[in-house]
This record gives sequence, C-alpha cells and structure tokens, in this order.
Amino acid sequence: MWRAPPGWHDEAALAAAWRTAAPFPHLVVDDFCTPDALAQIFAVLDEEHVDRYEGDLFVFEASAPEPTTAEFRALRDELAAALAPALSRITGKAVSRVDMRAYAYRPGHYLLPHSDHQDGLERRLAYAYYLPSPEPPIDGALEMYRCTIAAGELVTTEPALVIEPRANRLVVFEVSDISLHQVREVLGGLRISLAGWFYP
Amino acid sequence: MVLPVSLDELLATRSAVIVPDAIGRDVAAAVRARLAPQLVRYPLVDRGSYAAITDPREPELLAAVARIVTPVTGRALTLVASRVLRLEPGDYLLARHDPVRERAIEVVLDLSPASVPGAEVHYRQHGQVFLRIPTVPGSLAIVPTNPTVSCNHTYVSKLHAGAGVMRLIAVFR
Repeated sequence: MWRAPPGWHDEAALAAAWRTAAPFPHLVVDDFCTPDALAQIFAVLDEEHVDRYEGDLFVFEASAPEPTTAEFRALRDELAAALAPALSRITGKAVSRVDMRAYAYRPGHYLLPHSDHQDGLERRLAYAYYLPSPEPPIDGALEMYRCTIAAGELVTTEPALVIEPRANRLVVFEVSDISLHQVREVLGGLRISLAGWFYP
Repeated sequence: MVLPVSLDELLATRSAVIVPDAIGRDVAAAVRARLAPQLVRYPLVDRGSYAAITDPREPELLAAVARIVTPVTGRALTLVASRVLRLEPGDYLLARHDPVRERAIEVVLDLSPASVPGAEVHYRQHGQVFLRIPTVPGSLAIVPTNPTVSCNHTYVSKLHAGAGVMRLIAVFR
C-alpha cells in the first residue's frame, strides 16, 4: 500500500535538504500515495473508531493509541517497512518501528506548541500524512518555531514556517528539544490525518 | 452563594468556592482600562500565549478581594503574589507554566467584559481536572492549592473573534 515516493532515489539530495531545512530538519512530500492506495487506506480507517481527546495542550478526535483492528496494525507496519530504511539513510537516524493514530480535527480543534520530545520514549522522527477531506480544512496548518536555548533553558520561540495540511501530503520532521511545533486551530471543514513517530 | 468554611476544611476537601458578582461591570471596566497599557506579552509559546502584569498596582482592588476571601476561609490571610492575565483569541496558558504551587489560597477574579464560550480556568490534581471555572464576568473563585495542584487557562478559540478574557490571580497564605 505504502511506497517510497517517486524522487526518493536521490537520497543524497534529500539528505542535504533534510539537514538544511529550517527551523529544524524536515521533509515535505506531496502526492505521497496513489489513488488506489488512498482507497485502501480509507477502507481501513472506516473500521477504526475515534474518540474525543482533550487536555490543556489539545482538543481533537483520534483513534486509540494502539490500533484496534488487524488491518490498521498492518497499515502501520507496512508504513514502517516502506519508509524506515530510506528515512534512516536520509535523516541519519536509525529507525525501524512506527506508531500510528488517525486524527480528525473539526472546527475549534487544535494542538498547541510542543516539541514531541520526552525522555525515555525514543521518538526519533515525527510524521503526519494528510488525507483528502470531504470538507477541506480552513487552517489547521502545521506551524514550526525557531527556538533558542541558553543554559539548558528555552529562551526564545519565534514562528518560522507554516505547512498547510494539503491532501496526500506527508511531512516528516526531527524530534528534539527544539522541534517546537503546533497544529493551528481548525476554523472550518475537517482535517483528517495519520500521524505518529518513528522509533529505533 | 458564599459558604462559610474554614481554610482547613477547604484544604482538606479541595473544594472551591465561587462568588458571583464579586465586582460590578463598571468597576471591572475601569480596572481593565487602567491595566491595559501595562500589559506585557509573554514570549515562550511552549508554556503560554498571553499578556500579563506581575504584581499590578491595584491596592484597592486587592484589598476588596481580601475582604471577600477572609470570611470564606475563616482566617486572616496575607497576599503573597498577584498578576493579571489577558487572553485573546489564540491565547492559552499551559499547566506546565507554573509547575510548583505552594499550599495556599488562589483567587481568580474575572474582569472580562463578556462570557467567552470554552475559555475556562482548569485546576488539576495529578493532572486530572477537579475544577473548571468558566468565564463569568464579575465572578470570583477561591481555590485551595498545594504542590500537587496545577492550573491552566484553556485556549481561547479564534472562532470567537473579538473575544477577550482578563483575570486577576491573587495568592494568599
């Protein structure tokens, strides 16, 4: 179902793009899946239940942290098999395993700025894959921040890059102390995505 | 309704007291007008997005707050800290902003001009919300805190264009 996208044969160029991407290493890949693959993904997602999650940092709907169907587990594992080897070479971070949840952001939903980094979790790379929506979202963009650290403390955070949640777009970025990012509030429509992290 | 309970009872039960109409609309509007020019934007979005005044010079307002709090808690308390927060659409204050809370009485006075749906103050113990304070202009909440308690001010939705929340936070011991 998943495949390394066309153009990933030039891994040296991708690695250079990864290293120089600002405000922190990332890749944006459009037209990631074929129409047939997208149809298969939606067929799997139709069977996966989502619940509302709310915390001080977020409000959204999502599937459970662990897939509840064998088909969704297979979708997750196939993503790791298809991308982990190439991403390991491109990013210089050895990854093999991935997790995956389905997300639905409706109007008023958001995920406020955070880095994804947590000691002990070994999250190496974060990813988000935006699915076609029956009502394309208004905003709901991924926003990245440029951070400055002094004496181990974050001392500045500045908005640096906005990546629109365009249908069939994959975004991969490095997880670190300074990979500060947010999902801006969805102001209309529906933002559907698959997202998670790659691990060693 | 104001319930006369002791500080020990408050701390023991972790219950909070809400006093409606603690401040009139005209007084609140005058306070907002005085404070607005002093507000300073907080710079670190990983903890919060808001404007604030630390230790606002509002002795009469703080004294009035103390006069409300004293009979509720049943003992004379000393003001140890105060600040004013203003949140606009897109603003928030996360629980990790103030990680350690002393054993104290925290007061939230709502100076907002109007209610804002979903704009709430959440008090948490071990991460679990035990008190939700909605935006109700003029209301005052009295909340016992300790080092297991954290607090966040929820995100103010951009769907409420023009909305504004102002809160006075005062800490007594």
